[in-house]
Order: sequence, then C-alpha cells, then structure tokens
Amino acid sequence: MAKTIANYFEELRGTRVWRSVFRSGTGSSTLHRSLAIQQNVFLHLFSTKVRTRMLSFSATWYLGTLTFGTFLILVATGIPLMFYYHPSVPQAYADTKDLQFVVSSGLFLRNLHRWSAHAMVFLVFAHLFKVFYRGAYRPPREFNWVIGVVLLLITLFLSYTGYLLPWDQLAFWAITVGSNIASAAPVIGNKVHFLMLGGNVVNANALLRFYVLHCMILPLIAILFIAVHFWRIRKDGGLYVHQSEPKTVAASAAAAKGAQ
Amino acid sequence: MQSSKNSSSLWQTLFGHPIRAFGVVSLLLLILLAVAPAKNHFSEWRHYQNKYLSLIGNRSDAVTLQRHFHDHDGIQQIWLPQLGVVDRCTTCHTGLKEATLADVSAQPFRKHPAIPHTLDQFGCVMCHRGQGPATTVEEAHSSTLAWEQPILPARYVQSSCGQCHRAPLTGTPQLNLGRNLLSRYGCVHCHTIKLPDGTAMKPTDDPPSLEHVADKTTREWIYAWLKDPQAYAVTATMPNFKLSDPDARDISAFLIANSTPIAGDTAPLSKNEKAPDPTAGASLYGESFCASCHAVQNAAGNVVGGDVGPELTRVGNKVKPEWLQAWLHNPRIYDPGTAMPHYRFTDPQLSLLTAFLGNKTDSDLLANVHLDAATPEQIAHGKLLVTDYGCASCHEIGGIKKPDNFAPELTRIGSKPLTQILFLPGMTHAIPDYIAAKIRQPRSFGAALKMPQFTLAPAQIDALTTALLALTDRAQDMPRALTVPAKPPSNYQPAGRAGQLMSDLACFSCHAINGRGGDMAPDLTWEGSSVQRPWLQAFLKNPGTLRPALIRRMPRFNLSDGDAAELADYIMTVYQNPAFDRDSMPNSGYPPAQVEQGKQLFYSKYACQGCHIVDTKTDKGYVGPTLTQVGSRLNAAWIYHWLKDPQAMRSGTIEPNRNMNDEDARALTAFLMTQKGSGKQEAKK
Repeated sequence: MAKTIANYFEELRGTRVWRSVFRSGTGSSTLHRSLAIQQNVFLHLFSTKVRTRMLSFSATWYLGTLTFGTFLILVATGIPLMFYYHPSVPQAYADTKDLQFVVSSGLFLRNLHRWSAHAMVFLVFAHLFKVFYRGAYRPPREFNWVIGVVLLLITLFLSYTGYLLPWDQLAFWAITVGSNIASAAPVIGNKVHFLMLGGNVVNANALLRFYVLHCMILPLIAILFIAVHFWRIRKDGGLYVHQSEPKTVAASAAAAKGAQ
Repeated sequence: MQSSKNSSSLWQTLFGHPIRAFGVVSLLLLILLAVAPAKNHFSEWRHYQNKYLSLIGNRSDAVTLQRHFHDHDGIQQIWLPQLGVVDRCTTCHTGLKEATLADVSAQPFRKHPAIPHTLDQFGCVMCHRGQGPATTVEEAHSSTLAWEQPILPARYVQSSCGQCHRAPLTGTPQLNLGRNLLSRYGCVHCHTIKLPDGTAMKPTDDPPSLEHVADKTTREWIYAWLKDPQAYAVTATMPNFKLSDPDARDISAFLIANSTPIAGDTAPLSKNEKAPDPTAGASLYGESFCASCHAVQNAAGNVVGGDVGPELTRVGNKVKPEWLQAWLHNPRIYDPGTAMPHYRFTDPQLSLLTAFLGNKTDSDLLANVHLDAATPEQIAHGKLLVTDYGCASCHEIGGIKKPDNFAPELTRIGSKPLTQILFLPGMTHAIPDYIAAKIRQPRSFGAALKMPQFTLAPAQIDALTTALLALTDRAQDMPRALTVPAKPPSNYQPAGRAGQLMSDLACFSCHAINGRGGDMAPDLTWEGSSVQRPWLQAFLKNPGTLRPALIRRMPRFNLSDGDAAELADYIMTVYQNPAFDRDSMPNSGYPPAQVEQGKQLFYSKYACQGCHIVDTKTDKGYVGPTLTQVGSRLNAAWIYHWLKDPQAMRSGTIEPNRNMNDEDARALTAFLMTQKGSGKQEAKK
C-alpha cells in the first residue's frame, strides 16, 4: 500500500527524537495545534488562534510581514558581507571594490543588502501609514504603536549607519552633513556630535563606531523590539481588522471614549 | 472579450488558488536568484580568458603559452602594499609578458613593449592610471561615477615616469622638455610648484629687471612689445597679455616714468664715425661667437643661433645705441647677474658692433606707434595694471613688490578632482584635456582671466601637459625610498679674484664646474688635471679650435696677460681630479720603441684615426678633438687614465671604453705625448 507524504510525516512525528524536541505531541486536535504554537520559543509570540479574515491581503497588505521579511534578508546578507569587510580607513573602500569585482556573487550580495535596506525603510513607512489611517493605533494598541515608532527610528539609524560603511565620497559627506545636523541641537549638540563620531570629523573612529552600531547594537535592539512588537499583537487581541473587534474590546474602547 | 477572458483564465491558472500562487511566486524568485551565479559565471574577464585560449590554441607555441596561462588561471592581481595599489589588469591582459606574442595586435592580448621595469613590481595603474581593482572594461578604463581617473592617453604616459624620477631620463624626452619649459617659460614665476623633496621648482629664464628700462629702450618699443612680443622676436618667451591699446599705453607710460637711471650704463657715441663697415661688423659678430647664444631670423624665416640670450633680429628697434655700446663694453653695469660675458672689446670694436647691431631693424615694427606725452592719470593707471597683471612676478619693477602665489599652485594639479574643475562645453571631462586646453588658450575659460597667451607649438603643449600630469598626489606622497631624486642644484661659486673673473666672463653660462653651469662647453671640474698650464694660458688668451666638427667654440675675450695667468693658475691648482696625481707621469722622454708601439696600437689595434686626427695628411677622423698638439695640451697622466676609463674622467663622454691593459695605455700615452704640434716644433728649431 502506497504511503502518502503525510503518512511519512506522521511517522516522523512519532519518533523519540522528534518527541524530545517538540513536546506538543501528535494529533491535529485544537489543543495540539495550540500547543504547537505555545510551546515553541519562536512561535509563542504569536496568537494561537487567528481568524482567516485577519490573514486576507486587504486587511494589512502584509506590510508588517514584508518589513520583517526585508529585515531577515538584511541579516542574512549582512553576515556574509561582514566576512569581506574591514571597518578601517585604508581597507573599507577597497573591500567594497573587491565585493564588486572579485568576490563570487559579491555584487549580488551587496546590492541585495542595499535594495532590501531601501525597501525596508519604504515598507516601515508604508506600514506606519496603513496602521495610522486604519486607526489600528487606538486602544488597546497604543503601546504597540509606540514600539512601532521606536522601530521606525531604529530602522532609520540602521540605514544611516550603514551609509558610511562603503567609505566613498557620498558616504563621507552624507555622514558629515548628518552629524552636523546633530551638533545643531541646543546645549548638548556638540557633545552628541563628538560622541557619534568619536572625534570632531568623520574619520577612522567614526567608521568603527558606525560599524559596531550597524552590525551589533542596532540589530540587537531591533530584534528585541520586534519580539515585543509581535508579542504585543497577541496581547492586544490579534491583528486589527476593521469592525472585527471582539465585543469586549470594542466595549472597553467605547467606555474609554465615553470617559473622555 | 475573448482575449480578456483568455488572459483572465491564465491569471486564474497561475494565481487563482493561494497554494498555486505561492508556488508560482517561489519559482519566479528562484529564477531571479539564479541570475546572480549566472552573471558571476558569464563575466567579462572569463570571456576574455576564453578568447585568449582560443587565440593561442592555433599557435605553434600553444603548449608553452597554455602552461603559462594555466599557472595563472582566474582573477589575477598585482599587489603593491607600499603604494596601496591593487591591479587586476592582468586578468584580461593575459599576454603582457609573453615574448612570443609580438605579432598579436588585438587587445587585450598584446605583449607589453619592453620597459626598464618589471610588471610584477610596478603594476599597471602606476603608469597608465585607471581603476586597478576593477575586472570590467568600463570600470577599469573609463571615468565612472565611482572612479574619476580614467586610463591616461598614451601620448601623456611619460608623465607617470615623472612621479618617481625627478631627474631627466633618456627615455622620456617629452617629460624632460615639459619640465624644461615650465622653468624656461617662467610658468613657475606665478605658479608655485612644490617638489616632493620640499623645494620649489625654480625658473631658469632670466626676465630682465625693468627698474632702469628707460636707459635701454623707448616707450614706443615697450608699447609695441606689450601689444605683441612675438612681432618683435618670434622666439620671445614673453606671453601676450592681449592688452587693449589704452592699457598698453598706460603700462608703457608707467614703466618709463618709474625707471631710474644708472651711472655708466649709457656711453656717448663717438662722433667721428664714417659709415660703419657692415662686413667688418658681421665678421666681428661671427668671431665673437655671438651666435652661440643669440639667434637671428634669416630671410627665409628660419631662426639661426643659440637660445641662451635674446633673439637679435630687430634689436636696433629696441635698444638705444648709447645703451648698447655701454652694454657691449661691460654688461654687468646694467645687469650684474646677466649670462652675457664681459668681452674686453676695444673702442673701435665697440662702435663697429654697436653700429652693426643697431642696423638690425624692422621698419614696420614701430611705424604705427604714436604716443602722446603721458599724463599722471595714465601713469597711475599703468601702475594699477602692472600690479593687477602680476608683472612683478617675473620682472623687477621699482616700487612694486613681487607678489606671492600670484596664480594657483600646481603642486598636485595632476590629481585635481574633476568636481573642482569647470569644463568648457563640449570638452572631454578629463584632466589631460583640461590642462592642455588651459595652456593652449587660457582666456577661453573666461575673458577676465589674467593668464596670458603663450606662443607654443603643439608638441610643446603636449610636453607641458605631460610635465604637469606628473604632479600627482601619488608623486607627493610616494615613500622617499621609492623615488629617484634629482641631484640637488649646485650653488658652487669659485673664490677670490679668479672667482670674480669667472663671474665677469660668465664662464658658467657655457661650462659646468662642480655641478653648476651650462652644457654648451666641456665640464671643467677636473680641467687642472687634464691640461698643461702653458697651453691653457695661451688658449685663454686666444682660443683655438679643438673639435673641427663643431661650429661653436669659445669666444675670444681679449683677456689681459695678468687675467689669463690668474685664471690659469686657479684652474691648474683647484680643478684637479683627486683620483690621480697629475705629475705622476712625465710629459716627454718616452723610449722610441714604446712610442712606435703606441703608434701601431693607435692605427691598427684601436683604430683611433676613425675619430681623431694625428697626421693631418692621412687621418680623416673629425668626431673627437684633433690630436696634432695633444702632447703640449694634455698631461700624460690624464691621457693614461682617460684611455683606461674615459667615463670615469668625464661622465657622458662618447669616447668608448676599450678596456685597455696598462701596457697598451702606456704605449699610446707615450705616442700621443710626442704629438707636440708642428707649429711648436718648428718654433723650437
């Protein structure tokens, strides 16, 4: 009797090794399916139950997911790029040239990173507008909106710090102009400027700082906030779909409005 | 309707169901991703390497060439860590080092012409510029958004030699000429050019001081000269400032008014002149070898003569006769630093030469110049113009300070960023084109620009462009250990009364001593070891011809006995070669057998008569000096050492080193020392 692929999977799920990794056990009951989500460290942030309506394209245009997708691409391409790049003044520009001319598919890697970065900035804004105009920022999601704004800033900082790394004229002057904007801030402006660049002009220290920010600090903060952002979606009652709020949520929102 | 239904059904087939849509989109993504490795594989450089393989496949030496190639497969690079240079040119230019590919003319496979450097040590972009790390033709050769320096056109490639080599090279005539012109045309009077060793390039022209110009010439001539210097003398290096008539009028007015007289720089002409004898004047001009330094344009329009002093074709239009006579009497009164020697002309010679030169006129030159008396306003305006045009950068002008950095510094002009350059419409956006256009027609970049119009031949413009292109960031920042510096200029000045005499006679205008001086006449650094004193003193009194092939020779200065003795003493005492003792060999008394052996060697083994003359009846050599009197001219020790190693005695001499053994050299010396000159032998009898 021919086994279907589904049969093989079923068998696999019954093995001891599988059971030691995934504790939710076999079966397709509602309990099992919700356990599969809850007991997985990566998936537990998400709601165990999602309405089909929420997954329709028109509900969100998938903007948040697409943004996260570009972020994953950026991480995936950024790590191999780090193999070829030295954040030092004599080497940085030569390394970007090597990526272009010598490294196998290096140009593809670099361009993918660059275009994904542009796409991410665009998608983050699009996501923000979509959320704003659909009113999805309203209670009980106001805190997640704040986290979203923080993520917007992190995205912009990632974009800005990455801009310096090719160490060409465009990068140099863009960062010079950008850091001078920071120094225009009252009272602390010059201190911030100095702190950013590790000096008074864009030079080796600035390159190193921007590199560490771009590859270490900002991505870690971004991952942290993305996790909270996703988790809050579950806690705030799932994805917002127009006129699909559970009655209790709608009632509390109305009460809050009435109280004003 | 039908078609829309069809297309909608296709859409339905592909994206109608979420699972199918996911599959289709994934497939599309996979295809797109496959583009990356495909582009990687079908790269330009691989295409050229394959072409190279098919090119060498049909050749008789295919096996060797293929082995060479397969030792160096894939992307190639030359890395010069000290200079931060990475060159990948050899990835496509595969045959550069293959001597057997001399017949291949197709690029990029052509063999590199023979050069004194190895490609692996010097790379490609050091000389050719372009983007070394690039592996595509467009990026490597052209000026792109990410790289400003395209390949240097081949006609300027000598400039790259100049980045390391500061001294003239035999292989770079264009660069040498360009550097020479930068100094000679006085470019560096206005433009500072700092050299990597910290010094600045110095001008070698000698623009006359204008502090006493009214003694020398007239306001009309100055006006005509300012309007068009080349109308007066085609070889004039003074550029044309394209002055308007009133501006030229006012500048001439200021220069005349500003001039102060010097006592003794004009001499009253003797009144009892008969009509001057033009033949006698011409022959005095010839005998004094004025033409060694001064040129004259002949009827055919050719400029004949040397270029040390100014051209004299129309000198009669320029100078006042009273001044000319005083100048010929002693040029150092008017200009203490002039390259002109102080001839000791007699009074009749002075008036003869003054009249001869005064007749060198062109009636058209000043025919249309009519200037009214200058007004104070004109003089004041003239002073303003003189300051404005930076005349004092070159000329000394009383009351006007030499301006510092009058024109932009050119120390790094060869690496000037293109973004800082305003190009003319239709011009190639490249540094060489910009520099050449600036030299060719400076004012085409703006009528208000001050840089004047120079009269330069196309070859000179190319040479100047080449010399300027050598002034790059790389040349400035090159590690000192990798450069070949020029010899520092010598400021040698002989001491005492002899030193004064040598300055007065301007010996250094033609002769070099201890690294200072001209190259028209022999280097005298070791003259004291070379010659015998009686000959030297007689020669100074009345120089004769040593080399029959040369038109130029030392002029006669009419030295007094005292002066000639003073000079001869000084030369004999000071200018000795420390390598040997002048008196270590006797100047006469060699055994006849040795003399005879020397004669045999002279005529048979070494065939010296090919270039030298000992017997005026039989010998035909005229390349080297005549040796009929060499026994009374040179010292035996000098001849001996000269024969052993001529280049050690005088570097650059064309006398070949014959690797003579001691015996041959001694015998030849003995033979040559018997050549005392017929005149002297007769006198002895």
